[in-house]
Amino acid sequence: MKFDVVIIGGGLAGLTAGVELCRAGVGCAAVAEGLSIHNAPMKEYVDAGGVLLSGDSVVRGEWEGNRLLRVFTRNLENTPLEAGNFIISTGKFFSLGLRSDMNGIYEPVFDCDVLYDADRENWVNPDFWGVQPFETFGVRTDAEGRVYVKGVPSVNLYAAGEILAGKVDIVKSALEVCRKLK
Amino acid sequence: MQEIEISANNFERCLKCDICTRVCPMMAANPYYPGPKQAGPDGERYRLKDPAFYDLTLKFCLNCKRCEVACPSGVKVGDIIQMARLKYGRQSHPVRDFTLANTDLVGTLATVAAPAVNAMVRTAPVKALMHSLFGVDSRRTFPEYGRKKFVDMFDPESQKGFDRYVSYFHGCYVNYNFPRLGLDLVKVINALGYGVHLLEKEKCCGVAKISNGFGASARHQAEINASSIRKAVAVGEVVLSTSSTCVFTMRDEYEHLLGMDMSDVRGSLMLATKWLYSMMESGKVRPVFRKDYHRKVVYHTPCHMNKLGWSVFSTGLLRMIPGIELIVPDQRCCGIAGTFGFKKENYDYSQKIGSGLFDILKSCNADVVATDCETCKWQIEMSAGLEVMNPVSILAEALDIS
Amino acid sequence: MTAEEYDVIIIGGGITGLGTARDCALRGLRTVLIEKFDLTNGATGRNHGLLHSGARYAVTDRESARECIRENMILRRIASNCVEPAGGLFITLPEDDCSYQDTFIRSCRNAGIDARPISPAEALRMEPSLNPALTGAVKVPDASVDPFRLASANALDTVLHGAEILTYRNVISFIMEGGRVLGVRTVDTRSGEKAELRARVTVNAAGIWGDGIARMAGAEISMLPSKGSLLVFGHRVANMVVNRCRKPANADILVPGDVVSVIGTTSTKVPFSECDDIRVTADEVSLLLEEGCRLVPSLAQTRILRAYAGVRPLVTSGDDGSGRGVSRGIVLLDHEKRDGISGFISISGGKLTTYRLMGEYASDLVCEKLGIDAKCLTAKLPLPGSEGGMDSDDYSISLKVARGRHGTRVSKMDFADKSEVLCECEHVTRAEIAYAVKYLDVHNLVDLRRRTRVGMGTCQGSFCTAKVAAALAQELGCPEKAPEFVRQYLAERWKGMAPVCWGESLREAEFMRKKYAE
Repeated sequence: MKFDVVIIGGGLAGLTAGVELCRAGVGCAAVAEGLSIHNAPMKEYVDAGGVLLSGDSVVRGEWEGNRLLRVFTRNLENTPLEAGNFIISTGKFFSLGLRSDMNGIYEPVFDCDVLYDADRENWVNPDFWGVQPFETFGVRTDAEGRVYVKGVPSVNLYAAGEILAGKVDIVKSALEVCRKLK
Repeated sequence: MQEIEISANNFERCLKCDICTRVCPMMAANPYYPGPKQAGPDGERYRLKDPAFYDLTLKFCLNCKRCEVACPSGVKVGDIIQMARLKYGRQSHPVRDFTLANTDLVGTLATVAAPAVNAMVRTAPVKALMHSLFGVDSRRTFPEYGRKKFVDMFDPESQKGFDRYVSYFHGCYVNYNFPRLGLDLVKVINALGYGVHLLEKEKCCGVAKISNGFGASARHQAEINASSIRKAVAVGEVVLSTSSTCVFTMRDEYEHLLGMDMSDVRGSLMLATKWLYSMMESGKVRPVFRKDYHRKVVYHTPCHMNKLGWSVFSTGLLRMIPGIELIVPDQRCCGIAGTFGFKKENYDYSQKIGSGLFDILKSCNADVVATDCETCKWQIEMSAGLEVMNPVSILAEALDIS
Repeated sequence: MTAEEYDVIIIGGGITGLGTARDCALRGLRTVLIEKFDLTNGATGRNHGLLHSGARYAVTDRESARECIRENMILRRIASNCVEPAGGLFITLPEDDCSYQDTFIRSCRNAGIDARPISPAEALRMEPSLNPALTGAVKVPDASVDPFRLASANALDTVLHGAEILTYRNVISFIMEGGRVLGVRTVDTRSGEKAELRARVTVNAAGIWGDGIARMAGAEISMLPSKGSLLVFGHRVANMVVNRCRKPANADILVPGDVVSVIGTTSTKVPFSECDDIRVTADEVSLLLEEGCRLVPSLAQTRILRAYAGVRPLVTSGDDGSGRGVSRGIVLLDHEKRDGISGFISISGGKLTTYRLMGEYASDLVCEKLGIDAKCLTAKLPLPGSEGGMDSDDYSISLKVARGRHGTRVSKMDFADKSEVLCECEHVTRAEIAYAVKYLDVHNLVDLRRRTRVGMGTCQGSFCTAKVAAALAQELGCPEKAPEFVRQYLAERWKGMAPVCWGESLREAEFMRKKYAE
């Protein structure tokens, strides 16, 4: 199935971008594993003509060098989603955008480079009410918002929302990516 | 040395965000139902300690899997509940449940005297008897039985001479109630240049047996189906179904609830609309449509279709038909949940759950409702008074066979 | 300033103090127990939950082992609702000395412990989660005990027999007159109100803090704080207690506790200053996991809910030399004979399994000093909730779960009006919370957790804290305190989540923060 943009992760960031893009005439498909705990604009997105694949997740992508060509999802099996540009907005740990084990933190779909503290004892602030280091971990992006994979920035895979490193304004980051894709 | 956490059905991944409880159709209708989170991952920890902690109200779970679709953690909430029901559940009306679940037996008997059976189950005295003795709600209308079984109407001779073939799992509904759908599928497949083979041996997919607690019997049927499907796949044929629930049951429930390994054939077993869409979208087949075909269609997503994530294929297929105006409203559960809605202790909950959907469908003022599940079809026909067709039948109507 | 007169004052609201208080109260003594925080805040609330068969000590300390098995059998009877007779296995792994098993079995039998060797195949049948590489196994009558329930039941019985329990009461100083302890000066740590309590005998049952208490009276006990860390797993991985058949070492016991599994423990000397704020280190977490996986391999894939640590009160000064016949494990000190300070005794050492016996020894000495001849009844009379009866299949889940925790006391819970389930992981209803407030002396959410398992489930309070805090505040009649309860409780839960914050626990942590801190 061909689209202009495929959005991987249908939470607040992904669907905010989706609404903005669809309204600008950019055809989108969004893949969402579960509902978001934020108020993601699902109705606005679908009303704007966006295709929403709920309860699904991207399992792998096919690349040509640093260009992502298509992605395959768990439910659609052999039917790939093809697009010129992709947005990854799968969130942080809660929404499974980042995974962690005793040894490290990684991004499970494309193995994007993740910025985090190598010492696990620094992941958590013992004061519950203080800023938590793990809340600032995320994927590495270039000035254009494109993610790095194995040290090289991708050509057409952008990141939006909580999957980003640092302090993130979810909606703002989504709209910034849209500016590059409209 | 701590690997990624692995637990049965991912029950330990549950973070108690409660999103599943918010989307559960039964929660809103039934104050006794504890909700998917409590019935599923919460209850599982206690059941692991002692089966005495099994909550009988789990029988109200519709098995719609909306909890799983909504879960951000990938917990198989619905499967956890169904497994618990299979392991610890008790049947309140064993004779009724056995009858409702044994579609092959009842279907075979009923088609022998279909006109009489159809007439009888419409009469008040028979309904009252079924209600009081049997526990089948008298307000429920029964689907009609066909005079001839689909397998007897299907002509293998007519399918000779094609270059390529698909296999068709017809299921109980097509075989005993509505052979017309099966014939529509054959018509459509043939029009695209493929022949249709039936499976060597087919039994009911077993979904009703599973939900009514007859796990061992369901497994027995499932093995027969799996074996037949394997034989078809071995000769390079995909196996198509026109029922979203049948295909979901065979692809997923056989593995998750009956412990079978379907991995070698799962990818080749699919809903007809998925295959048709893929073939048409890729240009591998180019059907010709009637120029005078106009229909306003409203598509209803069955719950199992929602879980499969394949409504894009059915709606995509319908959109390829020129002359179709397609409306796709927000998806909602129709409430029947297979044999669930036939039982008198459940009927009111079913109708309450589906009431929102019925209003929406009526307000669309469409010519026909399109949906891939036969029990949704019965429920919408009965409760909304609308005509319901499978997308394959709509496609068959729209094709220019000349 | 008020001065209350009692027969005996007991300092310390752990299981030792509570066991002693119950014993004294049952003997008809006017008893008061004071505790500086909440009951079970010390080692009692931070241990394995293991009701030892004594097998672990059989080889090196036969007396301790004998004591354990006797008390084990007694507690199964009088505390039946707190004890789960899960049974235990001592397994030998390929890297262990296989000759140890024979020594082990012989020593157990000599101590009166029923130890039966079984084949690895049979062990795996009994407990499928075991390391399939095991080369030998011995079955022993280990059991699991819920220390909170046990403590609650003892406290309840004490109060039901006319004694008083005062929590959040700290000892400022002893009232002394010429080498005689007459009582204690206390302060209520919440209100700041001071009060004097007087009694003819004062018992120091303050666990590791007993060192400081004794010093306040002018006696030196010489304790060594020994920290032990443990991990809680998300569900009940093994149904039996699994031990390693070797010389006791770190992390070689996995205990089923209600709906979780607990692996422990370690042994590190810590300074006294750390005793009020102990934290589990990353090294300890790694060690516990590594050793635990040798017993039950699936622990490597099981969600870890939290890590916690307690401090054992190890007493180095041993017996008081009065020829009392007290075992090497249990330490009973008569400070009159030992230090010339009359009206003051200390009871320490021992373990959770032998708490009742410790209470008996202490109460015997108290009665001796009071010149009262009263027999110990604690081994005969069942604890509240464990009186038996009330078995039925027809309970709702809420009632079944509450009955599991409180036994026959569920009859005091109002399920008709207060059936709402507030903590869903552990199925705690408003009825149970109301019961705890009325009968079990609850002042905040942390106290409530100890009485009911609120927040001890998978979500560690993420889901329920706000709701439970509101309900508790309402039941206590102070609705404005709900936010304070939330803050205090989440901080306490976070402490245990931080050392194991990866995988699902990290996800839960993110969720908890999103829900409460944003």
